[in-house]
Amino acid sequence: MGALCLLTLLCGCTAHASSDTSSGGDAPRGQSSAAPARLGRPAASQRVEFIPERLILPGHAGAAVLPAGTVDGVLRVPENVQHVGWWDGSARAGEPFGATVIAGHIDSATEGIGFFVRLRKIKVGDTITLRADSHWLKYRVTSVRKIPKKALATDNQALKQKGPHRLVLITCTGNFHRDRGGYDSNLVVVGRPLGLAH
Amino acid sequence: MRAARWSKLALLAAGVLALAGLTVSPSYAANDTEIYVVQGLPGKDLDVAVDGESVADGVKTAKVAGPIKVKPGKRKVTFSENGTTVLENTFSIKEGSKADVVAHLPASSSGDPLVTVYKYDDVKVPNGKALLVVSHVAAVPPADIRVNDQVLFANIANGESLQLMVPVATYKVSIVPTGENKPVFFGPVSLTVKGKAINRVYAVGDPEKKTMNVAVHVLAATTTGSGKPSEVNTGTGGQAVGKGPSLEVNLAR
Repeated sequence: MGALCLLTLLCGCTAHASSDTSSGGDAPRGQSSAAPARLGRPAASQRVEFIPERLILPGHAGAAVLPAGTVDGVLRVPENVQHVGWWDGSARAGEPFGATVIAGHIDSATEGIGFFVRLRKIKVGDTITLRADSHWLKYRVTSVRKIPKKALATDNQALKQKGPHRLVLITCTGNFHRDRGGYDSNLVVVGRPLGLAH
Repeated sequence: MRAARWSKLALLAAGVLALAGLTVSPSYAANDTEIYVVQGLPGKDLDVAVDGESVADGVKTAKVAGPIKVKPGKRKVTFSENGTTVLENTFSIKEGSKADVVAHLPASSSGDPLVTVYKYDDVKVPNGKALLVVSHVAAVPPADIRVNDQVLFANIANGESLQLMVPVATYKVSIVPTGENKPVFFGPVSLTVKGKAINRVYAVGDPEKKTMNVAVHVLAATTTGSGKPSEVNTGTGGQAVGKGPSLEVNLAR
């Protein structure tokens, strides 16, 4: 397959080259009849990189993934607690570097329990899948941590866009302070890709 | 022998550092139909004409000239040296499109030079990241491009390209035969990618004649995505408090 592609390419290359030179005998004469230039094209090994549209947790529990932006330093995850948000400044699935960050509600005052309550059950070794159209990439969970909210921004894994590619799922956990309207900690799940995206 | 080789590599490395960022194009003007000319033929200063009209003079090896506005449709590009035509080819370009028109060596150094046209559209690039597009237009067989000692661009043949989104950083880059570690066709060199931009890197030259080099064309891109959050607040109800694992057991999965 690869060899065939290469052969085709080389043949195309030779054919063009022979008719490329202005002194070449193959080109029709008398008018500006230069041969077409070769078109550059992607190699077969082009990596797939995609914006996730669906997240599947163990037990086939799936949620829609919507792009989420940062406003005044706060990541605006979807209001619908059954949806989760992909930080639009983070890596797309399948990129070679950086975290693909997906955050979602554990609960909300208006909508109750959220999809990411399931992260409480996630264990190291579990498999999580990201999808979009026909693309997919599976990740294996390598760590599940509870960190103080203030430590999230400087965490070495959670939001950083350097270092090896990983999936980072974030929700809230810890003590709930009703007067402050939220929890005091974040639950951070990190997974490593199982190969390249398809 | 070894020492000589390393000093050559050091020279090449210096060359790359000097090249990186040299040709930063203005931001992507969506309506203009434009080409850039990439001079990938070693040892030549080439004059370039489009449809017989001069657009660039004395373009040195591994240099990029442009942007050159062209009319949409079928165009003819002529590369000449001292009045003698070296290459002449046609290409088609759509209104508002961009392309890099590359004069270069074929995979086998015994073959004739040729022109390859790489067309591209606007790509949105997040803050702090760069789209790195690597093209093989050198006199070498299919190759792997190793980035920080890892094959990031695999099995790329003359006339092909591969692209990846990468964080802004300086990368150690080398070009080796597909699936092998040696002979090293080029590098290792340090390449600093420019953020919020498309970094188009062309491997040019012939390792047997010690003319391997890279041409770098940096094109500002439309930015996308928001900044890094400092807070993620995803629990405002407290309903999940104290319900622990027993809650999840009851969730419809």
